Amino acid sequence: MSRQWLKVHLVWLAFLAAGIILSSVPLFVPEGYRLRLLALVFMWVALSGCWNLMSGYTGYIDFGPVAYFGVGSYSTAILMLKGGVPFLPSIFLSGLICAVLSLAIGLPTLRLQGAYFAIATFAVAEALKQGILEGDRLIGLEFFGGAHGLTLPPPPSEAYFYYLMLFFMGLVVGLTALLEKSKFGYGLRAIREAEQAAELSGVPTLKIKIKAYVLSSSLIGCLGGVEAYWLTYIIPDDVFNVLRTIQMVIMTLLGGMGTVLGPVIGASFLTLVSEYLGAKFVYDYLIFVGAVIIVVILLLPRGIMGTLWQGQRWNR
Amino acid sequence: MTKGFGALTAVRNLSFSLQEGEILGLIGPNGSGKTTLFNVIAGVFRPDSGEVLYRGQSIVHCSPHEICQMGIAKTSQTIQPFSNMRVFENVLVAALYGKNLTMGKAREETARILKFMGLEGLGGEPAGKIPLPLRRRLELSRALATGARVLLLDEVMAGLNPTEIQESLEILKKVRNQGKTLIMVEHVMRAVMGISEQVIVLNHGEKIAEGKPAEVAGNPEVIQAYLGKRYA
Repeated sequence: MSRQWLKVHLVWLAFLAAGIILSSVPLFVPEGYRLRLLALVFMWVALSGCWNLMSGYTGYIDFGPVAYFGVGSYSTAILMLKGGVPFLPSIFLSGLICAVLSLAIGLPTLRLQGAYFAIATFAVAEALKQGILEGDRLIGLEFFGGAHGLTLPPPPSEAYFYYLMLFFMGLVVGLTALLEKSKFGYGLRAIREAEQAAELSGVPTLKIKIKAYVLSSSLIGCLGGVEAYWLTYIIPDDVFNVLRTIQMVIMTLLGGMGTVLGPVIGASFLTLVSEYLGAKFVYDYLIFVGAVIIVVILLLPRGIMGTLWQGQRWNR
Repeated sequence: MTKGFGALTAVRNLSFSLQEGEILGLIGPNGSGKTTLFNVIAGVFRPDSGEVLYRGQSIVHCSPHEICQMGIAKTSQTIQPFSNMRVFENVLVAALYGKNLTMGKAREETARILKFMGLEGLGGEPAGKIPLPLRRRLELSRALATGARVLLLDEVMAGLNPTEIQESLEILKKVRNQGKTLIMVEHVMRAVMGISEQVIVLNHGEKIAEGKPAEVAGNPEVIQAYLGKRYA
């Protein structure tokens, strides 16, 4: 009991310490590439963390999380440009919009299983991209900016986004850690292991899956909004790019699905590796990134964290 | 109650009732509709026609988790543990959701049930790694942890050796003594006949006999269903 207690408190202490150290980084590192790179790492940790929260724990492979990233980007941009809403309320509202949208999409799609769910969510993301591309022509107004995209107002300093991304990363990782050992978390894992047995043990499976999906989607929506303001320029082909989905999936798989630290390790690793290789081999770095991914998956099929966890041989 | 799949009628015009605290044995050759019946009661399938009443209330339109929370839990013939979760966590899920307990209360309840079922030493093991007889017992523990008053036990003794069957019978007797109502589907005759107060025999989805175990065992139609016309 006391050992367990100590362990839990040590984890939160480590979490707090990491937070303090990372928040003090901008005091020492000058604005520029390195700060930007760290913020990028945080964003990907948060994004793949969101994906892990839903797909990693329930085993339902969501292949369309980018839908909410795109919707979040566009709603933040439109709220700021057309509505004159300040940035922070805009990303909050974008999260809300994504929550409503994901509820509407989750209700029918989360009754599907396996590949069907993956295909359905993928189709939703592609449909939304086309919708925004062609939206202006459809309604006959200048609203989404079509393929030309939208330009947002000039953003504040780099450090501002560093802290925002750090906040979201902390939020997602902290939330995952809290949920993992909660009633909700046990429900999600039971669904992943044997959905029918979970249902027969009293777990309201559909309701829980939808809760996880909405939570994950609305956080992704907020992050989309942050990135839109950070980059100041968005186009459908980029914010709805399926590569973003694939990146969230691969980062989580690399780190270990259904673990708190999996996305942290997977996303940091992959972002830094592709950044390093991108600078070394400007034209063909993706080949090397692919090779690295294949090697890691061959050596550690359960992901980096998953393998470590297995190595512990179920010790408490 | 009737339930069919396409052209096949799995359960036809079946009707029976059960008092609280009773043990009902459900037997019949393979494919006679026993598991289908269980799935209809537990809410996995919806019957084509007919009603399932629990304490005077119709439950045919409830989903499995609602039925479980009302007090009817089912174990599965093809055991479905949450394999990558620990034994303790398997039972914990049922206590948390089936019985709707808070985390602290559910942990206490889980510890109590594991002890009752003689699984207390295995709490930390992954459920997929323990031997079959223990996995069957885990399945029963999970059903018990939902706090159900009615347990639908689908072949909890399949694949067990005589010693293990004996242990399993002792456990079932202990469960009955807690005032639970049991409906058992079982092929191990010694088990059904030894513990049931009432037995129903199904064949091709229809009830062919009903009564005390001894009466049913002598029924010519039952013998015919199992062994063929020559022996009836």
